Amino acid sequence: MAVSWLQRLAARAAVPVFPVRGMHGEEVLYRLALTPGIKLVDSPRHASILLVAGGVPPDQHDALRRVHDQLPGPFATLWYRSEPLDELAGATRLDDPDALPEALKTIHRELMSGKRGSSPRLLPDEPPNPWEGLGDDGHGGKGMMGGVPYGRPMAMNMTDDIRDGLTLDSLTVTLGPFLPMLPPGLTAEVTLQGDLIQSWTTHSAPYPIALESVFFQALQGPVPIAELERARARYHLKRLHFALRLAGLDRLALEALRLAFAPHPGQDRAMALRRRLVRCGFFRLTTTGRGRLDENQARRVGGIAARAPGLEEDLRSRDAAYRRLEFTPIIQGGADTNARWCQTLAEIEQALQLADQAERDAVHTQRSDGVETPRGPWHEQWPEEASDLLDDLLPGLEWDEAMSTLASLDLAPLSPWSLEETSGAPVPTSVEERRA
Amino acid sequence: MELLTLFFIVLIATGLGLLIQWLPMRHQPMPTYPQRAPFLGGGLPETHAWSRFHVRYYPMTLLLIAFEMEMMFMYPWAVVFVEQGMKAVMEMGMFLAILSVGIVYGWREGVFKWQ
Amino acid sequence: MIVSELILPVALVIGVLVVGAYLVAVLDEAIAGAIGMPRGGSAWLAPLTQGAWLLTQHANATEAPDWQAWRLAPALYLALAAIGLAVVPFSPTLIPTDLVTSVVLWGSVEALATVVIFLHGWSANTLLALIGAYRYVALGLSYILISMFVLIGVALPAESLQFSQVVTSQEGLWNVIRQPLGLPLFLIVGLGMTFWGPLNLADSRDLAGGTASAVSGPPRLVWNLARAAMLVAFSGAAASAFLGGWLGPWLPGPVWMLLKMLAVLAVLLLIGRLVPRLQPERCVTLMWVVFLPLSFVDLIWAGAAAFFL
Repeated sequence: MAVSWLQRLAARAAVPVFPVRGMHGEEVLYRLALTPGIKLVDSPRHASILLVAGGVPPDQHDALRRVHDQLPGPFATLWYRSEPLDELAGATRLDDPDALPEALKTIHRELMSGKRGSSPRLLPDEPPNPWEGLGDDGHGGKGMMGGVPYGRPMAMNMTDDIRDGLTLDSLTVTLGPFLPMLPPGLTAEVTLQGDLIQSWTTHSAPYPIALESVFFQALQGPVPIAELERARARYHLKRLHFALRLAGLDRLALEALRLAFAPHPGQDRAMALRRRLVRCGFFRLTTTGRGRLDENQARRVGGIAARAPGLEEDLRSRDAAYRRLEFTPIIQGGADTNARWCQTLAEIEQALQLADQAERDAVHTQRSDGVETPRGPWHEQWPEEASDLLDDLLPGLEWDEAMSTLASLDLAPLSPWSLEETSGAPVPTSVEERRA
Repeated sequence: MELLTLFFIVLIATGLGLLIQWLPMRHQPMPTYPQRAPFLGGGLPETHAWSRFHVRYYPMTLLLIAFEMEMMFMYPWAVVFVEQGMKAVMEMGMFLAILSVGIVYGWREGVFKWQ
Repeated sequence: MIVSELILPVALVIGVLVVGAYLVAVLDEAIAGAIGMPRGGSAWLAPLTQGAWLLTQHANATEAPDWQAWRLAPALYLALAAIGLAVVPFSPTLIPTDLVTSVVLWGSVEALATVVIFLHGWSANTLLALIGAYRYVALGLSYILISMFVLIGVALPAESLQFSQVVTSQEGLWNVIRQPLGLPLFLIVGLGMTFWGPLNLADSRDLAGGTASAVSGPPRLVWNLARAAMLVAFSGAAASAFLGGWLGPWLPGPVWMLLKMLAVLAVLLLIGRLVPRLQPERCVTLMWVVFLPLSFVDLIWAGAAAFFL
């Protein structure tokens, strides 16, 4: 009796969901962040539902299996616009974003009441390495490093530290593609000494991000500037949401998201958001002036990262319509994390102000040979995917600094499909298409 | 008697903490090895995490020791402070002044930075 | 005798801790709702349903944890909170354990909290928890001195290291006014001890939950409970040291005490929701270069005030 009473209570808890962010799966997670009764958590240990949002390329299915198996039972999976793994063919698949919150709540309720069994384990129950070594703790064997206790070798000293030159143990791990602090899809082999990154080798690039269709239309013909600029502001606000959440500012992170989803976001609300960020110390307490890009790197990343240190690369200033609106690119004169966020907030305000102005006069773009996307200029070619510059940028940074630097950089390639398409049509998942 | 009461409070709080863990867990199966792997977003570690961890704030810990020693003298000092009057103020003022110089020197040398 | 000196104090401490931890969760939920987080369901029920869910979720294990330490750490953290609350006086007569050196004992609770939180992260033997543990030690070693100086400041006018004497010494004027720097500095210590809000260096989001990233189910419940309980114990210490404890007109002493504890909790939880998490290096520098010298000033101010006020 007591058990069923506990289960009934547990069924009413806010649904703890660990999101696996697949391709084009971000959009629905923004909606979930604003949904009451759903809690997006950062560790699979804290979740009762694994939500796979968006397609996962086949070469990362093994990683997905590992994350799947790391949820403590009882747990269930939900596949949003994503093909369930072969072993989980019977799992719930859902394509309608509006039905998602209710589906999550139902699954959690069924799981708690025992109506739905826990998802099966996919990987064999074997230690990662066979036991090797002597004695109770397995440290025995020859030499300093001994055997392989409890399935893994012990860490050992590889190289001198890059900051103070001491030689302590290095830990080498592969991170991603579903680590919530990294851009979705990014995997890297990272060596740490203490909490300082010694080396970073990017293995696979982040998944492409879909732009709103108005950016695609701008290459075909004139589009209303108001629409284009609001789409730009929305893009940056969503990135800001991620960074603010990472910094522990959940409330302002949601404020940024609400502004992004507002039907007519006003410049005044963006200014209020920036004032609140300054007042709560976001710029002074969470960044240390690291994550500095040199000129070449900044040019490669493009967009905000290029304009923050003062490289005036903005296709908008070539358009006569923008010039009529008295558009001049904003610059910051710094290349670090802090300057990039100042630049982002300034550009959000500028975009919303341009949108208001352009709406009043019904101004359309005049040139369609190129468009300034939020990721950088796009005319003959796409903004370049630049995640390999992390290999030079992140070594030497402390973990928190590295994560906030990563959040401030927009390295993902752009998707050949628009946001409207990706949230309407089924998502292609093959690797070839991903890398197209 | 006070200490005995305190002892019971510690005992019961610890027992409560262990009981809440043990009662629901006693029938649970041991998690599988894949579940027990460290969470790295789908990635894997090469080694155990336990290691000679490179702590980055070691100069700060040395500075702390200088202060912690001093704290022991401050407790009795606090009790006799009002009784001793200005003498106690002067003594501790001098002591704090010297330590403040130490902090400023340490700051200049970057001991609060990650080494 | 047994009843008044053993059962009553134990029941009082455990009762206040458990009810207080529940109220912390309710208050935090209510504050989150009030400042614009999406609210689902009633704030009164949310902690209970969350707790029930954690009791039904299976406990996680890691590949080779230090089992004893891993399971003991949450329980010990809870025990430290209990010790902390045990020395807090609720009225001139209602004091769970009225040690002569209760201020010193409180200081040792703070030091041991660092050990226990480190142990929780270290014993899991996973990378993210390990980083959280070592990062927390940097914070623990930084806030402890601030706390010492501030607490010695309140011991000066009392001429005693006993919390009940500290409260009695505030009959004329509360310490929050007599030593204006004291309470703000002590609140920083409270956030540090419970790694709450801006000082959440141990279980932060950039570490996917840090020391708690590998725990689930009942051990996680105890860990969260202990953290909230520590916040309650801290609010008790802060209310006695700076807000005059049981002192106050009209209402009985214990009621005043509880009201003041709730006020301290509300302020802490609000700070936790409004201020971003500090970058570790920046946090250590701030503690040593800004807040520690301020606590020197507080001590000298308290010394001067002990003579003249």
